[in-house]
Amino acid sequence: MQSETTPGGLRLTLKVVFYGPALSGKTTNLTQLHDRLRPQRKGELMILETQNDRTLFFDMLPIGLRQANGLDLRLKLFTVPGQVQHDSTRKAVMSRADGVVFVADSDPLQQDNNAAAFDNLAGNLQKLGMSIENLPLVVQFNKRDLPAAVPEAELQCVWRDTPWSPLVMASALHGEGVVETFERLLERLYGGLDEFALATKYGLDKAGFVEQLSRSN
Amino acid sequence: MQDFDDDPLFSELLKEPRQHQLLGLLGELSGATWRFHAEPKFSAQAVQYQLNDLAWLDCEDPSQNTDAARRLVEFVLSYVGKYRLAASVHLDATEAGYAELQRQHEALKLSEQRYRDLSGSLQLRVDEQVATIKKTQQQLYDSARLRSVGQLAAGVAHEINNPIGFISSNLTVAQEYLGELVEKLPADQRDDFLIGDFAHLLQESSVGASRVAAIVADLKTFSNINQEPYQNCNIDALLATVIRLIQAEFDSSVAIDWVQGDVQLLLGYPAHLSQAFFNVLVNAAQAVNDGGKVTVRSRSLEGGGIEVIIYDSGPGMSPEIVERVFEPFFTTRDVGAGSGLGLTVARDVALAHRGNIQLESVVGEGTRVRLVLRGVTA
Repeated sequence: MQSETTPGGLRLTLKVVFYGPALSGKTTNLTQLHDRLRPQRKGELMILETQNDRTLFFDMLPIGLRQANGLDLRLKLFTVPGQVQHDSTRKAVMSRADGVVFVADSDPLQQDNNAAAFDNLAGNLQKLGMSIENLPLVVQFNKRDLPAAVPEAELQCVWRDTPWSPLVMASALHGEGVVETFERLLERLYGGLDEFALATKYGLDKAGFVEQLSRSN
Repeated sequence: MQDFDDDPLFSELLKEPRQHQLLGLLGELSGATWRFHAEPKFSAQAVQYQLNDLAWLDCEDPSQNTDAARRLVEFVLSYVGKYRLAASVHLDATEAGYAELQRQHEALKLSEQRYRDLSGSLQLRVDEQVATIKKTQQQLYDSARLRSVGQLAAGVAHEINNPIGFISSNLTVAQEYLGELVEKLPADQRDDFLIGDFAHLLQESSVGASRVAAIVADLKTFSNINQEPYQNCNIDALLATVIRLIQAEFDSSVAIDWVQGDVQLLLGYPAHLSQAFFNVLVNAAQAVNDGGKVTVRSRSLEGGGIEVIIYDSGPGMSPEIVERVFEPFFTTRDVGAGSGLGLTVARDVALAHRGNIQLESVVGEGTRVRLVLRGVTA
C-alpha cells in the first residue's frame, strides 16, 4: 500500500496479487477483468514476457477512481508466474501486497499442486514479514467447466473451517465467477483501509468502493 | 527501499534528451512546436502511465490534435515502462536469489567447519573414552578383588587369631617349663645336645608364632575387623613414635631426616595411622639399609588435610613393580620375609581417612610415597 497526502487530498495505491499453481488461470482472470470491468479509470493490461504462453514475470492491470473531493485511488492488479522455478520472481512481485486472490485448479489431478502453491504463498508471505491469516485473501476454484472437476460440496467442506470459506467457484475462460471473486476481495480489502477514513472524509463507503471498482458490463 | 512497481517519474521513464527527441518527431510530423510541462496547464493534456499523471503536453498551435499526440506519447511510455518493470523485477529476483544462495553457502561452510572440527577431535575423544573405560574397569576389578580378599582375610584372621594366641603363650610357658625341668634333672642324666636343641626348637617356634600373629594383626587392620572409635590424632606425635620404633628395629643404623610440619589435629584412628606410617617407613628403611637416607616431611595442606611424604634414596623400583605395590600379598621379598600387605594396609588406612596414597619410584634414585589424609567424617 502506498499512500500520499496531496495538496488536494489523498493518493492511495493498493496492490492485489493473483497467486496460484501453474496453469490455474491467473492471467485469464486478469484478461477477463480487463475486458469486463468498467471502473471509472482503467489502464492498459500489461502482459510482460511470456514463454509458450506461460507467464515469465507478471501481468499488470491498473484500475482506479478519482473523486472531485481529492481522492485518487488506484489498484494495481498483478499476476505471478505459477511455475515452481520462478519463486524469486513470485516473492519480488508479492512484496508489499495488500490483497491476494488465490486461483486454485479444480482438476482432481492438480489438488497436490494447489496445496503446494498455497504453502508456498504462506511461506513467501512469512519471509516478507506478512501473515496469511491477516492479509485479505480470497480463494477461487477455477475451471469449474472441467467435466471431472472436484465437486463443489467436497471443496467447500474441506475449506469450511478456514478463514477463507466460502470459496468462490469460477470458470475464468468463460468469464464466470471472475468479477464475483474480485468483488469478494474488494470487500475484504476495504476492511484494511480504516486508517484513511474513506467513508467520512471522502464519502466512499464499502458498498461504493466495491461497486465502483468492480462495475462491469 | 525502491520497489520495482513504485511509480516512476517522467524523467526516469524518458530521460530529457529522449523527451526532446520525441517532441522533435512530433514537431516534424505536425509542423508545430510541442512542449512537456511538469504542472497542469490550461490547454495541456495529462500524459498518464498506469493511471498516474506524469507530465502535461501542449502545442503552441491550438489547432493541432493534442489528444492523438498525447496517446502516442503514452503508447511509447507503456513500452518503455514495460521494459523497465521487467528489468527491475528480474533484478529484484536475481538479487534475492543471490542473497539466498549466499546464505545457503554460509550455512554450508559453517556445517562443513563443524564436521571438520568434529573429525579432528574425534580420535582424541575416542582415546579419552578408551582410557576412561580402561581405568574404570581396572578400578572395578581392583575393588571386587579387594573386597573378596578382605572377606577372606577377615575369615582367616578370625580363625587363626585364637589358636595362634594360645600357641604363643603355650610356647612361652613351655620354654619356662624346660628350664625348670633341666634344673630338676640330675647332672649325669643331662643330655646337653638334646636339651639345647629342644630350647632352640621352642625359641624358633615362638618367633614363628609371633610372626604369624603379626600377619594376623595386619590382616585385621586391612579387613578393618577392629572398629575402634576415632579420635583427634596428632600426626607429628604418631610419626615421632613410629620413627623411634623403626630406629629401634634397625639398631639406629638408618638415617632418618624428619622435617616436622606442626600439623593440625586430624580426626582418625591412631593405631591404624601408626600402622600405615610404620609400613611405609619400614619399606623406606629397608631400601636404604645398604646406604642412603630417609626423609619424612609432614605439612598441613591448604583447604584442609595433612600431607606426609616419606622419601628414600634407595635403589628404587621398576615400573612393573610400582604398578603392583598396592596389590594385597604382592611382595618382592623372600617368602616369609614380608606379608605383602604393608602398602595395601597403608592405602586402606589413607582411604578410610578420606585421603589417598601415591608412590613414585625411579630405579637408582629412590622412592617417594605421598600420603594425603583428610580425617574421617564425624
